[in-house]
Amino acid sequence: MSIPVSWYLIVSAIIFTVGVTGVLIRRNPLIIFMSIELMLNAVNLSFIAFSHYLNSVDGQMFVFLVLTVAAAEVVVGLAIIVSIFRTRRDIDVDDMNVLRG
Amino acid sequence: MIDPQLLAFFVLAVASVASALGVIIFRNAVHSALSLILTLLFLALFYLQLGAMFIAVVQILIYAGAIMVLFLFVVTMLASEARDTELPDRIPWQRGIASTLGFILVGVLSYLLFTGASIDTGAKASGANSLSHVVATQGDTQAFGLALFHGFAFPFEVTSLLIVVAILGAMVLGRRG
Amino acid sequence: MTNLTLWVLLMPLLGFIILGLLGRMMSRRGILVVALGASGLAFLFTAISFFSMLGTTPASARFSDQVFYTWINSGVTVGIAPLTISFGLLFDPLSAIMLMVVTGVGFLIHIYSVGYMEDDPGFWRFFCYMNFFIFAMTLLVSADNFLFLLIGWGLVGLASFLLIGFWYQRRAPVAAAQKALVINIIGDFGLMIAIFLIFKHYGALNYFTNGNGNIGVFNQVTAGGIPTISTTIICLLLFLACSAKSAQLPLYMWLPDAMEGPTPVSALIHAATMVTAGVYLVARANPLFQVSPTALIVVAIICGITALFAASIAVFQLDIKRVLAYSTISQLGYMFMGEGAHNYSGGIFLLVEHAFFKALLFLAAGAVIHSLGGEQDMREMGGLRYRLKITFWTFLIGALAISGIPPLAGFWSKDDILSSLLANATSGGGSVFYLLWGIGVFTAGLTSFYMFRLFFGIFAGGYRGAGSTEHAHEEEEEDLRHGHQPRSDDEIYESPAVMTVPMIILAVLSFIGGFIGSFALFGDSSWHPLATFLNPVFTNPNWTNVPVQAPVETLSVEWLSTGLSVGLALIGILGAWTLYRNGFFYKENKNPLYQLAFHKFYVDEFFILVLIRPVLWIGRMANRLLERDLLDSGSREVGTVFVGASGLLRRLQTGYVRNYALAILIGVLLIIVYYAVRG
Repeated sequence: MSIPVSWYLIVSAIIFTVGVTGVLIRRNPLIIFMSIELMLNAVNLSFIAFSHYLNSVDGQMFVFLVLTVAAAEVVVGLAIIVSIFRTRRDIDVDDMNVLRG
Repeated sequence: MIDPQLLAFFVLAVASVASALGVIIFRNAVHSALSLILTLLFLALFYLQLGAMFIAVVQILIYAGAIMVLFLFVVTMLASEARDTELPDRIPWQRGIASTLGFILVGVLSYLLFTGASIDTGAKASGANSLSHVVATQGDTQAFGLALFHGFAFPFEVTSLLIVVAILGAMVLGRRG
Repeated sequence: MTNLTLWVLLMPLLGFIILGLLGRMMSRRGILVVALGASGLAFLFTAISFFSMLGTTPASARFSDQVFYTWINSGVTVGIAPLTISFGLLFDPLSAIMLMVVTGVGFLIHIYSVGYMEDDPGFWRFFCYMNFFIFAMTLLVSADNFLFLLIGWGLVGLASFLLIGFWYQRRAPVAAAQKALVINIIGDFGLMIAIFLIFKHYGALNYFTNGNGNIGVFNQVTAGGIPTISTTIICLLLFLACSAKSAQLPLYMWLPDAMEGPTPVSALIHAATMVTAGVYLVARANPLFQVSPTALIVVAIICGITALFAASIAVFQLDIKRVLAYSTISQLGYMFMGEGAHNYSGGIFLLVEHAFFKALLFLAAGAVIHSLGGEQDMREMGGLRYRLKITFWTFLIGALAISGIPPLAGFWSKDDILSSLLANATSGGGSVFYLLWGIGVFTAGLTSFYMFRLFFGIFAGGYRGAGSTEHAHEEEEEDLRHGHQPRSDDEIYESPAVMTVPMIILAVLSFIGGFIGSFALFGDSSWHPLATFLNPVFTNPNWTNVPVQAPVETLSVEWLSTGLSVGLALIGILGAWTLYRNGFFYKENKNPLYQLAFHKFYVDEFFILVLIRPVLWIGRMANRLLERDLLDSGSREVGTVFVGASGLLRRLQTGYVRNYALAILIGVLLIIVYYAVRG
């Protein structure tokens, strides 16, 4: 029996939610970043699933581009994190609260 | 006998979800990174099951291979032996609310997926341009390559520009002082 | 017939404008030239027009209604005719007489004021306001429609306000001016409503049919033309205006207080001219009053009571100007009584004579005040007979005139009114006229009594002022409060010629002025020049079914009335002579009736309690509750609410990135849930 596409989508949704929760719960900026990567990958899964089920290569194309952009983003994001938290011992993203109203 | 596809699907599904949970649960950042690599791996296996050979390999090579290595460099550079910060949480209520909302999000999405409109099978491409046909005639990677360099050439070029910008950004931001 | 009324109007107006704009910088001579020139020219033009009118032989031709400007000419019909209002001046016998009185006495008083106000720093302002008053009064009496009458009415009220409060640096004149204005406004209100009703019923505002084709109000009045109740209401409202302006009950309270103004003002405005505007109005609107006899009787009764009431207060007053003020109220009551007895020419006759002798009395009193350096209290005077000779003789003539002693002016006019009252009573006008006649005769006695009490108090006996031994009460603070320095006996001098000459002229007029009245008493019933002159105003061939004017008086009735009134007047003089011939000695009398009359029947106190205090309380409450608690704190509360709201909203900005991410998630969830629910 062929697996219905909605099952893949549910897995994707679960992984996405895990990523969202990780962004909100963790205080280490690196782990937050990793959670963001999780979210991106969950979406990649959705794309590939649709590509398979709609019998079109466009889904894979999108994943390719998302991959590239994710790479670029990681590079720049980590550079920023390094430059902010370079000299600290304990890193906590809640230290950045200068915009407090 | 259980359909091997189904079995593979379930195993992969449980595994990827478990390792995803591992990413957000481990106290040690290195453990989280390794968990993420595992998740990427399982996702690549998913892609294989879905017939995206090229993407699966690219995922492992680039994502797991390059990006996660970068992550691990930074993780070990910053607070390598530290746990996820000894300081008390300044907004303790965030944890509860975020978890609750997470569950709600999953629930709603599942609900939408189960009761939503079925995929319009008429949108399934067929004929000379459909993926299965090209794969059958020319092979997986060739199918991907043909699409990349014919239809998606422009985004491809733009992507290279993006990479250049990212490199420059990283260099500038990474400088000391 | 030469009608120079427009020039009569323009001269004082020009004087007012020039003095108003430039007076502060002009030299004294310049001010005098403008002021005296304006009023003098006004009188000259009036005299020319008047004598030209006398020369116009058929009496019906003595009528000139010039329309100068059509202001509103709408085609829209309001009531029964299209609304048309124009500015025009009417010159007929009644307005001619009034103009002569206003400009003539006005001119004399202008001359007098030159001497009286010579030390005052507001010299230019005084003449500016006086010219304005002459202009306003002229407008009032010569307007040919009710609207401009109302305008003139309001303007003389304004002039009165400005002149009463002339010495605005002190509190008492300002309060008196405000009181006068507030009470006059009640009258203005009545006049306005009456004008509305007149327009509603007659469709026009002009008195007589003029060149524009509007049929005049008086041309339309016939008995039973419109319901009597309507004309009665109109007349009563007109009388409300008259009672405010002419200080009758119940709106008389402002006139005694108006004595805070300079004495020439009291003489001109509050004796001779402005207060007579009410008498003029009743005479002018006599067709309306003639078709509503109820209103006329109400007028007569109220004013009769006023005459008695005011005279009884005047008997006990100590301030010489107050005595004269109440005397004015009393005499005005007489005039209205005469008009109430259908004797309109009698009322006008007394108006003219009263202008002469009351102005004279006020000017003489002013001369006394001026000579004594501002003293107005009778207790401080006495024995001035030899120091102020001219004042003495002129005052005596004025007092005799007002008491009604023949052959001076007051006798003829008062007698005219009293005998017409009695004639009304005997010829079936109703027995109320007996009562009014009785009141009139008795008040005549009171009048002569209090007038000679005043006369002897000022001139007889020994000088009781500062420096003499007769000082009997607290003087210093009171003197300073009145703003004058008491004079000792050897500092008192007669007033300068510029003040005494007008007094002498008025004294002569008071002497001979009566001869324009009716000689019917002495058997020559064909000699009544004034009545003949005014006759066209009070009869009109256009009117049908309008009741006859004054009933004819029989000779015996006349002799009875005359004899009684002269007799009582002589008794009054005798009484005053007996009591005060050696001077006026003030004894405080504890008798409650005396106290009641002395304190003017506590009318002012009553109104303060009943009217003023509640209104002030309402104002205070409004200020506290509405202004302070509602508006001020309300607007402050709005600010507080905003600050509070923003304070609450501020707590959303925690500064933590994770909170912002949570907010994004919440937004996303809401969108997804919306789609889930929508289906």
